[in-house]
Amino acid sequence: MSLIQLFIPSEIAQPTVAELGELGLIQFRDLNPDVNAFQRAFVKEIRRFDEMERHLRFFTTHIEKSDIPIRPLAGDGARARNAQEIDELEEKIVGHERRITEMNTAHENLQKKYLEYTEARHVLRETDVFFRQAGARQDTRRYSYDEPTVPLLEQTDLEHGGPPGDVPLNLGFVTGVIPRSKMQIFERILWRALRGNLYLKYAEIEEPIIDPISDEILEKNVFTIFAHGQEIISKIRKISESLGATLYQVDDNADQRRADLSEVTTKIDDLNLVLQNTNNARRQELQKIAENLSAWITIIKKEKTVFHTMNLFNYDVNRKCLIAEGWCPSNDLNQIQQALRTATETYGSMIPSIVDEIRTTREPPTFHRINKVTVGFQEIVDAYGVAKYREVNPGLFTIITFPFLFAVMFGDFGHGIFDMFFGGRYIILLMGLFSTYTGLIYNDIFSQSMILAKPGFEWDLTNYTRGQLIEANPVGVYPFGVDPTWHGSDNHLLFTNSYKMKMSIILGVIQMSFGIILTVYNYNYFKKTLSIWTEFLPQFLFMQSIFGYLVFTIIYKWSVNWYELDEHGNHIHNSPPGLLNMLIFMFLQPGEVAPADQLYPGQGFVQGSLLLLALICVPWMLLAKPLIMRREHNKIRALGYHHPQADSTRISSSTEEEESGGAVVAQEMHEEEDFDFGDIMIHQVIHTIEFCLGCISNTASYLRLWALSLAHAQLSAVLWDMTLKNVFGLTGIFGGIALVLAFALWFTLTVVILLLMEGLSAFLHALRLHWVEFNNKFYEGSGTKFEPFSFKAILKDQEE
Amino acid sequence: MEFLYFNVNDGFLEGIVRGYKSAILNQTNYLNLTQCETLEDLKLQLSATDYGNFLSNEPSPLATSTIAEKATEKLVSEFKYVRSNAVEPLSTFLDYLTYAYMIDNVILLITGTLHERDTHELIERCHPLGVFDSMAALCVATNVAELYDTVLIETPLAPYFKNCLSANDLDEMNIEIIRNTLYKAYLEDFYRYCKQLDGTTGEIMSEILEFEADRRTINITINSLNTELSRDDRRKLFPALGRLYPDVQDKLLRADDAEQVKTAVEIWVEYRQFFETSVTSAETKTLEDRFFEYEVHLNKLTFQQQFHYAIFYAFLKLKEQEIRNVLWIAECISQGQKDRINNYIPIF
Repeated sequence: MSLIQLFIPSEIAQPTVAELGELGLIQFRDLNPDVNAFQRAFVKEIRRFDEMERHLRFFTTHIEKSDIPIRPLAGDGARARNAQEIDELEEKIVGHERRITEMNTAHENLQKKYLEYTEARHVLRETDVFFRQAGARQDTRRYSYDEPTVPLLEQTDLEHGGPPGDVPLNLGFVTGVIPRSKMQIFERILWRALRGNLYLKYAEIEEPIIDPISDEILEKNVFTIFAHGQEIISKIRKISESLGATLYQVDDNADQRRADLSEVTTKIDDLNLVLQNTNNARRQELQKIAENLSAWITIIKKEKTVFHTMNLFNYDVNRKCLIAEGWCPSNDLNQIQQALRTATETYGSMIPSIVDEIRTTREPPTFHRINKVTVGFQEIVDAYGVAKYREVNPGLFTIITFPFLFAVMFGDFGHGIFDMFFGGRYIILLMGLFSTYTGLIYNDIFSQSMILAKPGFEWDLTNYTRGQLIEANPVGVYPFGVDPTWHGSDNHLLFTNSYKMKMSIILGVIQMSFGIILTVYNYNYFKKTLSIWTEFLPQFLFMQSIFGYLVFTIIYKWSVNWYELDEHGNHIHNSPPGLLNMLIFMFLQPGEVAPADQLYPGQGFVQGSLLLLALICVPWMLLAKPLIMRREHNKIRALGYHHPQADSTRISSSTEEEESGGAVVAQEMHEEEDFDFGDIMIHQVIHTIEFCLGCISNTASYLRLWALSLAHAQLSAVLWDMTLKNVFGLTGIFGGIALVLAFALWFTLTVVILLLMEGLSAFLHALRLHWVEFNNKFYEGSGTKFEPFSFKAILKDQEE
Repeated sequence: MEFLYFNVNDGFLEGIVRGYKSAILNQTNYLNLTQCETLEDLKLQLSATDYGNFLSNEPSPLATSTIAEKATEKLVSEFKYVRSNAVEPLSTFLDYLTYAYMIDNVILLITGTLHERDTHELIERCHPLGVFDSMAALCVATNVAELYDTVLIETPLAPYFKNCLSANDLDEMNIEIIRNTLYKAYLEDFYRYCKQLDGTTGEIMSEILEFEADRRTINITINSLNTELSRDDRRKLFPALGRLYPDVQDKLLRADDAEQVKTAVEIWVEYRQFFETSVTSAETKTLEDRFFEYEVHLNKLTFQQQFHYAIFYAFLKLKEQEIRNVLWIAECISQGQKDRINNYIPIF
């Protein structure tokens, strides 16, 4: 990582930054952290792009509403444009927007008219029915109401003030259209307001009516209300209007109504034609926009981020250049220079942009070059903590150790192969590969064993009766992994348990020791030689003298043939001693080993001295570092160096700049931390306790490898025994069907329980072993991630 | 016991509301807002807060009313989300919160009709939380009885309205009386309801509602000084709860000027500050501002406890206050009154 400083002439700043954005290699630092978002230099431009984005969103909604496909972006996306092109683009967009808005208003007006006419037509048609019904019932009505011989409706038209009939009855009516959802409320309010003095008829309009403003489909009802009296009629009108009904005039004369109807119908036909034309025009316009829309959106997004980035720069008005600062990978400096040169040449600037590398004490962000295989493993590590700059990155080791530890728990050849088929992502692929490998070692394929070579045991089948317990005789050594003869034997579990338990301890101790060794690289890089002697060494010795010794005894015990006989047929060795007890008595009775439990001669002395070494390591770890640090500090004080008042280093690229009082670019405070003995001591105490206890508990924690592996093996055995094994004996058609069914059951359960659930649990445990047991030995993970300014990342972000 | 079961029904919503609460603008946000030069700056600043790009689809130039409208829209959608996920008794509690807005809307519509405004315009101005179906028909009514018979009878406000039926005509004075009677009935009912909810909710809500009642009492008294409102009428408008009820209310009835109101109320230490500073200080804080401040204080306190409903009330009120603040700042910016811009009421 290098901290670089860029001087970009302001006239080509925007294309240059765009070029850098395409490159995506620099993480810019904010040089104006105190400046409010809206007081920065390029807010005006950003606002302009916001406005343009708004227009584009407007287009998008309209295009989506008209079901026009938006042409997806061809190629890798549009490049950022220069100022003139942007101006043209803006003009184009604004022009389009104006046209669309105009057409929308025209369309809306037409639609409104259309709506009116359609409603009117429905009103006319429906009321015609009402009136006819009323007319048909005239006779009965006349009798029942005992009214004079005047038909009820004929002469009553208050609306038009038409000629009253013989007797003015003042029976008026109101007709209109109301949304169906409001019908019920409407009715209820009318009823209550008029105390029931009304006669209301309504009919549903079958044809859906489109609301011109929201473009939604509304369902409406036609209603006619007959009521008595001027007051009431006007009240009805008021209520209907306030509830959102539209009122229409209807003539009570049937012929007139018919004439109106035909008139309205012709008007609707005319309107339809016009409406279609406007619609077509609008559609064409939108289609034109849809061609370019995604390109425009990308361009504007890119431009916006360019200006956002430029807001981070120091804007030097006098010198007419922008000063930027940022981190970039040192190896890519050439590429950046190349990009700057291209930008300068393309846009014909007289002054080239200048890149300057500056020295700094600031901690750079961490950047790991990753590819599609390693990205997953690096993510696992980053989830725990991003590595400090130049710290040993456990991601590298995780690539192998993670799938390996997973496989130890998930060891089954068959399941491993299955795992490889799934997904095909690289973590899973590696996990699958390693599982097949450990599966071979465990000699497990879907809980069955494979006889790939001549077994190392032989059954003596003479004198064998069914149900009798017999012993296999060792005749050789199976070349690879667990002997298949063990499979199904009575003491199979005893054997694998002991084997896997010991293996877990060995793997754990190796991994943790490796972790401790890695600290050396960290101390070396960060120039903490003191820590190598006062922390790494005692830690390593402590670990090795207890658990390293345990590993040694495990391997030693494996390598001795405990049942070997001498030429007289006597046992050379005592019976094999339990290692667990050995470890316990190593602490309880230091220096002594009972002869019956002896592994090798001189064991007591070795154990005693190892324990002593471990005990010495504890105060060594605890006290050495703080005491030495205090002595150093006191020495410095004694020599007369005092804590300076303000220890700030100011680094600028040129002295000139400081004189002119111009842009102070890289100003940083590097405070020498105060020496506080108490603090360091407490820190050290915590660290020591954590390490010593951690050694024990972490080693025990690795036993999960055995536990999970056991669980996996047992579960797959149960699954096999309960399903497939039962049906293998069956014959005939029934047997065939049962086999198919049992296989289906076995297969689904294998996938669901063993592969998915067990796999997940093994994954989590492997994760834990890496995060807690391995990483805490050496990994600080206090860094920040390198997040370069890159169009690709920004566009991807916004899509999600 | 309520602690055990609270989360079963209301834990999710409490979490949601606490989340909403943490989105309320804090001092730094306000500081940034007050530094804005134009409404466009304000928009930019607000987009960095939880409001996000709620204004991004608005064409510039922005109007202050648009900002308020959009902000209210956001509040309403949040409230509606909570309401639609609520179960009994929280849903009833939330319904109670909307009744206050209903009362305001009813009064707005009646007043508007009285001044012969356009109904649709009035409906647009109504608070969206207090909207009910038959609201539009209110403008038909010409007297109180009709109002009740046609529309209000089927709204939840109906029981509150019974006390107003004595008033006959709709004029300015009567509408004001109706508003206060309705509010009194509403407060008393809500108070009773909260008390009957067990434990913490009742405890906290009663404190808030008591203050609300006291505030109304004081306001009614001050506003009715030197009007023809008789003492008996005045008493009818005082909510029958709160710290001022009943002794101080009696004193307030006899009060003839602001000074007497002050002496009557001052027996409560908390209330003393309302008058003290508003008389002496050079700041232009009105009595109303002090009330709001104290209300904000009370509402903030509700978040100190868990497993109760008062936070839903407090959230709504705080968010409303925030909208008022933003609107105030926006108004100050658009009218160039930068010297008064700091008169908002800080929340967090």
